[in-house]
Amino acid sequence: MDFRLAFPALVAGRLLLAYTSLPDVLKNDHQLSSPLTSYSRLQEGVYLFQQGFDPYSGGPFRHSPLLLSVFSTVFPLTRFTSPILWTACDAVAAWALVRIWRARQNIAGSMRDTLVAASYLLNPYIFLPSLAFSTSSIENALCLTSLMFACQGRSSAALMALALLTHLSLPSILLLFPVSLLLLTDPFSHLAFPRPFVARIPSLPPLLAEFTAYFLGLCAAATLLCGNTTWVEKTWGAFLLLPDLTPNPGLWWYFFTEMFDHFRPFFLMVFSVHLLIYALPLCIKYQHDGVYATYLLLGVLATFKAYPTLSDPGLFLSMSALFPETYPYLRHPIVTTLLHLHASLLLPLFHNLWLTQGTGNANFFYASTLVFGMANGAALLDAMWAGLRVAIGEMRGECEVAQE
Amino acid sequence: MLSGWLFNVCFFLSVLAARTVALHAEQFDEELTLRPLRDGKLAARFSFTTLLKGVAPRNPERLDEDDDSQHYTLFPLALGQILREYAVTEMHLTLNAGNWAYDRWGYPDDLGVSTGAELWAWMGEGGPVTVDDRWKGLRNALAGLFCASLGSLDEQRTTSPALTFQPEGSLPRWNASHQLRHATLPSEHVCTENLTPFLKLLPCKARSGVAMLLNPHRLFDADWHGLGVHVRYLDAGVEVRLAFQAVFDPVRLSSDKRRDWSLRSVFDRTIDRACPVARSSEVRVELLPDSAYAITPDPSEIDGNRATYAVKDRTEPLDVAMRWPGEEAFQYPIEAAPLSPLSVRRTLKGSSQSDAQLSVVIRNNLPVQVRSSYLETMPWLVEFYLHTLHADIGGVPRDDLVSVISYTAPVPHTRPTLFQAILTLPPKTTLHLTMDVTKTFLRYTEHPPDAQRGWDLPPAVLIPFDFGEDPIQNHTTSPGTSAKYARPARPRRIYTSVLLVDLATPDFSMPYNVIIMSCTLIALIFGSVFNLLTRKFVLVRLDGDSAEQKPDVK
Repeated sequence: MDFRLAFPALVAGRLLLAYTSLPDVLKNDHQLSSPLTSYSRLQEGVYLFQQGFDPYSGGPFRHSPLLLSVFSTVFPLTRFTSPILWTACDAVAAWALVRIWRARQNIAGSMRDTLVAASYLLNPYIFLPSLAFSTSSIENALCLTSLMFACQGRSSAALMALALLTHLSLPSILLLFPVSLLLLTDPFSHLAFPRPFVARIPSLPPLLAEFTAYFLGLCAAATLLCGNTTWVEKTWGAFLLLPDLTPNPGLWWYFFTEMFDHFRPFFLMVFSVHLLIYALPLCIKYQHDGVYATYLLLGVLATFKAYPTLSDPGLFLSMSALFPETYPYLRHPIVTTLLHLHASLLLPLFHNLWLTQGTGNANFFYASTLVFGMANGAALLDAMWAGLRVAIGEMRGECEVAQE
Repeated sequence: MLSGWLFNVCFFLSVLAARTVALHAEQFDEELTLRPLRDGKLAARFSFTTLLKGVAPRNPERLDEDDDSQHYTLFPLALGQILREYAVTEMHLTLNAGNWAYDRWGYPDDLGVSTGAELWAWMGEGGPVTVDDRWKGLRNALAGLFCASLGSLDEQRTTSPALTFQPEGSLPRWNASHQLRHATLPSEHVCTENLTPFLKLLPCKARSGVAMLLNPHRLFDADWHGLGVHVRYLDAGVEVRLAFQAVFDPVRLSSDKRRDWSLRSVFDRTIDRACPVARSSEVRVELLPDSAYAITPDPSEIDGNRATYAVKDRTEPLDVAMRWPGEEAFQYPIEAAPLSPLSVRRTLKGSSQSDAQLSVVIRNNLPVQVRSSYLETMPWLVEFYLHTLHADIGGVPRDDLVSVISYTAPVPHTRPTLFQAILTLPPKTTLHLTMDVTKTFLRYTEHPPDAQRGWDLPPAVLIPFDFGEDPIQNHTTSPGTSAKYARPARPRRIYTSVLLVDLATPDFSMPYNVIIMSCTLIALIFGSVFNLLTRKFVLVRLDGDSAEQKPDVK
């Protein structure tokens, strides 16, 4: 189907859905929006700010001060305006995904464009959080925009978008490694013909300095807006200290609900440091392909970050549309698909049984988050394997690929 | 010579003792007020007031100096030591059980009828110990003194709603200002173990005077009962008032469903002798103006609708009895106008364990417009969505009737919500307030042992304070109920009933399992990822015996 027709049609369909009563049903769903991305809490923060109360003095509001300032001044959050903004975010993200695809293939357009856009706009893990007006849609749009600019070689724009994303969601700072790798190399697919990274180390510090400057600028703006720095503890601190134990599809909440009090700080440290471990090794192993390294790191974040929503794994799954060359080499795609199918059926079912029906207990939902974690992990491992395996190519004769 | 010297010493000591007594003149008054209620119940209020004349509360700025020595004869020493140690100017502790029915019983004689425990204190600032540290010490000391779980009134429940809890006495003029600390624990119960230390604070214990009637078997059988300790600073000195309130049901106690009562039938005791140290000891009975009753024995004094018995003047045991000879059986009034200016009903709607809606229905019973303050002190277990606060009257949105004056958002695991608003209630109308709330998820160690029971949430407090002019009142001949409320002496608090919230519980037997299973999953993925990242890919020939190895992808 022609991309110029299909893309507006998909976006219009999304917009129409957002104007139904679906958002009212979905907006407080724990799987679609976490305490850090919830629309209700954003509205609450904006209301408090407008009434002259400090929204960061208490626990309910944990969004970035930048979102607060935007939504309390230029863009009021109403039932009419919100669908437009969230659909626009999705459209921008899908458009950026298509541009990444084109930059990667170095073409002006292809038959696959529609498929790539549809893989984002029709992904239920993406559009359900977006219908719930979760601000994770904004984060996804920023992430893909940053990646798009990086693919186009526009380093300032890419770093600015990444700084904004990091400001909204602290764990995304890990993406600085693959994005700067991408800025130093080219966006083309080198998975099949890996080559060592040609060191242009001297050009790295200016990039990092530029990112730091943007990031500090945003922090200064946020501090100016709030008048103090309590927002740091309330927004970023939540990723590290996990003060709100509201269930989500991730692995942290039940672990720290059930944690012994004297071990809590230790395990908080372990879980946070664990996220850091992946960034550098992934960048070193996939140094020939920065986009793929970013993709894998997004998979790691979706599985292991503190307050994930369904849109985090959704971004990872949608991005797999960019790498058709790896499809023949996926190790166990059927198992991964079935695990995801299994988890996406279990999650809402057991969430409902536990919290609404009252016939199940917390272990039901915990078990389904484990299955979901397993599915995300399987998808990540599949993608890693295929990304390496594609370099060996088609096997002829009685050969098998194994690891030493 | 020696005897003369001894005489001098004794004389000097006795003068000194006389001076000390003169410095701390104490007076003790006790009073029992009995009030037959419209629905056949009997409200009893015991009040034991000790006034320590000419003494001021301790200034917190002198907490590091040695305190004046405390010699009391009537004033309760155990309580006095706590007040001096933590430099408390004013303090109110109530321990109640049951819901006070304002509509049927009117205002209580003592206003503190919050279900469970409520403690609030005004304390001066400054000095070596902070107000919060002294507040902590005060509640722990009172917990020990009254055998109640007041230690649980910690930072997670402490607020400072100074508009609603104004000092009842006066505050000394020190350099630093005073601060309020207030906390409630609705799940706390009152029982014999609290009454025993309470009685020990009385100069005559329960052996004489009206305190003889404090029979735990009957008091804790009452429909509503509660004890209170009120300390305030008056210009005359420091006053400690110990109070016990109860609402008995004589109809339930009687065999033929009559509302006749006597001290013997209600308390199973009579007042045999007066407390010798009491300056006054009185039993007061409020008389119902419009019913045919008989009261025995003859009161010492009748003043309007109030009969007074002076216990000290009596030689034989006092057993006040009230009978309605014309009544076969008591008929409950079916449709009677509410006795309080406002009727409040507060509920938490919704069956989900993650979200709910707080609904407050307030009816203004007066024919005049009433303005009322509205206070919520909610533990962080329940978080308000203030942007969803809506008011309507009969389905018509009237958000203009609510003005939020202060809001302190909760901090999980740390601090409760404080929400104060002013409501404007049009005459004879019902205002519906709704607000979405979200229920938080607790760590497994934060749940009480009976987690599935749910959590008691503190009552909201309303104070109607501004009564508008009644347009009809000037033309009507009988000044009806409205005139009675039009200008109350001081604003009076109305507590709503407490709420029970059902919070989602984790599986309490699972901590090890969760740690093991989550860590296994993480280790599995981590291990596989680093397996893929660190090991080389090789080609293995399956049929040949010499495997051709082709290193690939560094």
